[in-house]
Amino acid sequence: MNLNVSREALLKPLQFVAGVVEKRNTLAILANVLLEAEGDTLTLTGTDLEVELVARVPLETPAPQAWRVTLPARKLLDLCKSLPAESQLQFSSEGERVLLTSGRSRYSLSTLPATEFPNIQTDEQASELFIPQSALLRIIDATTFAMAVQDVRYYLNGMLLELKDRQLRTVATDGHRLAMAAVNSEDPVPGVQVIVPRKGVLEMQRILEDTDSPVRLTLTTNHLRATVEQYTFTTKLVDGKFPDYERVIPRGGDKEIVADKDSLRLVLTRAAILSNEKYRGVRLTVTSGNLQVLANNPEQEEAEENLPVDYEGETLEVGFNVNYLIDVLNAIKGEQVLIKAADANSSALVRDFDDETALYVVMPMRL
Amino acid sequence: MRKILHSDADCFYAAVEMRDFPQYRGIPLAVGGSADGRGVIATCNYEARAYGVHSAMSSARALRLCPHLTLVRGRMDVYKTVSRQIFDIYRRYTDLIEPLSLDEAFMDVSHSTACQGSATRMAEAIRAQVLAEVGLTVSIGVASNKFLAKIASDWNKPDGLKVILPQEVEAFVHDLPVSKLHGVGKRTAEKLHAQGLFTCGDIRKLSLQTMLERFGSFGQRLHELAHGRDERPVKVSRERKSISTEHTYREDLPDLAACQDRLPELIEDLTARYARLQGYRIQGALVKVKFADFTQTTVEHSHPKPDDALFEQLLQEGWARRAMPVRLLGVGYRLQQPGEGAPTQLKLFE
Repeated sequence: MNLNVSREALLKPLQFVAGVVEKRNTLAILANVLLEAEGDTLTLTGTDLEVELVARVPLETPAPQAWRVTLPARKLLDLCKSLPAESQLQFSSEGERVLLTSGRSRYSLSTLPATEFPNIQTDEQASELFIPQSALLRIIDATTFAMAVQDVRYYLNGMLLELKDRQLRTVATDGHRLAMAAVNSEDPVPGVQVIVPRKGVLEMQRILEDTDSPVRLTLTTNHLRATVEQYTFTTKLVDGKFPDYERVIPRGGDKEIVADKDSLRLVLTRAAILSNEKYRGVRLTVTSGNLQVLANNPEQEEAEENLPVDYEGETLEVGFNVNYLIDVLNAIKGEQVLIKAADANSSALVRDFDDETALYVVMPMRL
Repeated sequence: MRKILHSDADCFYAAVEMRDFPQYRGIPLAVGGSADGRGVIATCNYEARAYGVHSAMSSARALRLCPHLTLVRGRMDVYKTVSRQIFDIYRRYTDLIEPLSLDEAFMDVSHSTACQGSATRMAEAIRAQVLAEVGLTVSIGVASNKFLAKIASDWNKPDGLKVILPQEVEAFVHDLPVSKLHGVGKRTAEKLHAQGLFTCGDIRKLSLQTMLERFGSFGQRLHELAHGRDERPVKVSRERKSISTEHTYREDLPDLAACQDRLPELIEDLTARYARLQGYRIQGALVKVKFADFTQTTVEHSHPKPDDALFEQLLQEGWARRAMPVRLLGVGYRLQQPGEGAPTQLKLFE
């Protein structure tokens, strides 16, 4: 049995699939990638039992017969990467081994039985939704940064995916700031809330492309599956209750400030250099037409920046973790940013001035 | 169940003097400032105590009570060295030591494995080692919390050991006079007595609700103590709230100008003391003035970088409150507690 495939056809899918494979594993076979060839398709599968990614690689030369094997993911990827561009790869079984040849290169790789390769079992009852990949990608990109990392509140280490009111929403929060983005769906959607684990979000983000072609989202009780042309991605869901995020999105906030996004980001990035490295606090003072940013650190160094802004009203003085503000400005695409605030103890709402589909909430820091 | 030791050297300074100078043994002896100045007694031995002399009493009064009292100046450097030796012995048994003074400390030996974990035997061993290696006697109280351990160490003083076993707490506390309770001074004791509360047993007859109504939040504390409960942990290092220096003048400073003249040297001393302290930030400045009539006042102002002018201003303000000759001046810095003043990130969900 000989299987022929070009390096270029294999490399990118293999990179994605190997990305799912964890470095340390409880089961030896989880370090492997499953290769299945049948007809004119080679299927690659990688899993860590929580998430699973299946990639379909079209074969120019159909496989002469059905073939299933598992190979060490990392080594196979490193070999493919380091072979010359445009190489043709040939896989052939040699008993317990698989021989990979390309030109004058020969590699004999160990295998583990394909029959032992685990696949994620999903339950039957499922709801389905089709939306353009670009739309899903946009609302994920807009919110991933706010996900918690290894928080004891495990349900924050992920992203809320909510189907509601003909909208698909993503919400992420680490308890200090929150990001929410929504896209309208033409189909009526069932009201449903699921939490996608952090790793699942990041891997799903990789397979989505900025294209109008749809992604099929399949939701079961315990899993989310995203299917695009070349990939099928499945992730377990986090079993937990996401906080009531709507409650913390400020409705008031009488003080509205409009600023040039890039200028504000630069001002904050500079002032941050002299902020306390541990707390990252900056003090914002907004007066009519002006935003002042002050930062200082234990070495008594001080930064002061002033930026003209569109604001009329009482003086507002409020402290923030500068990283939280910069994260938001990085996620906003438009030229102008709108900040709504009430006082030094209340959350501030930040959004693209021309786009209400993504909202950001940042809690102040008492300095 | 915790195992707490409270250790207290017997008339520490005086004991060190008697150890080093045999001629002081067996006669009334006190360590303190001279009587012709305005000195006070720091410590006295048991012979002197028989005459009613006690610490914090003015030396002049002590000499009136006991005219043949031998009064010696303290040798602080020696006491500090001896103190270190004693604490080194404590550290053989636990690292959880809360020093209260040079000669007094709480130790939490709950997790110590020495002496098969027996707190009583650790206390015996500490007493034996301090006597053998340092030549002083210490009294130790052993109990399940700080409050009881402290009372116990005083129980069989001097050279005593008192253990309050968990099953004895009930009976022990029952007859304990309220004046022995932590935080109950003369005034509070009077207040308690006036309400017919003389022993912890009396307090225990009242409900927590009644105690709260009569004594506020301190009522709750009294209620706990009266039941032998005290959850205060042994704190390894005590947080400093302020640092200060003061001086009692041989002759009263007659007016504000005289006080102002003395300010620079006090500030200089304060600055030196602060420099030796590590990890504390200044939160404010304070000036203490004690007048010739023994009334005293303290003026304080929040400022992260107090300068001489601020101290002058505070002195002026404090002096003006009575505008009379001054016997003592003090200056200090209020210190920021570690963690205090640190920025706090507010939370979305709470």
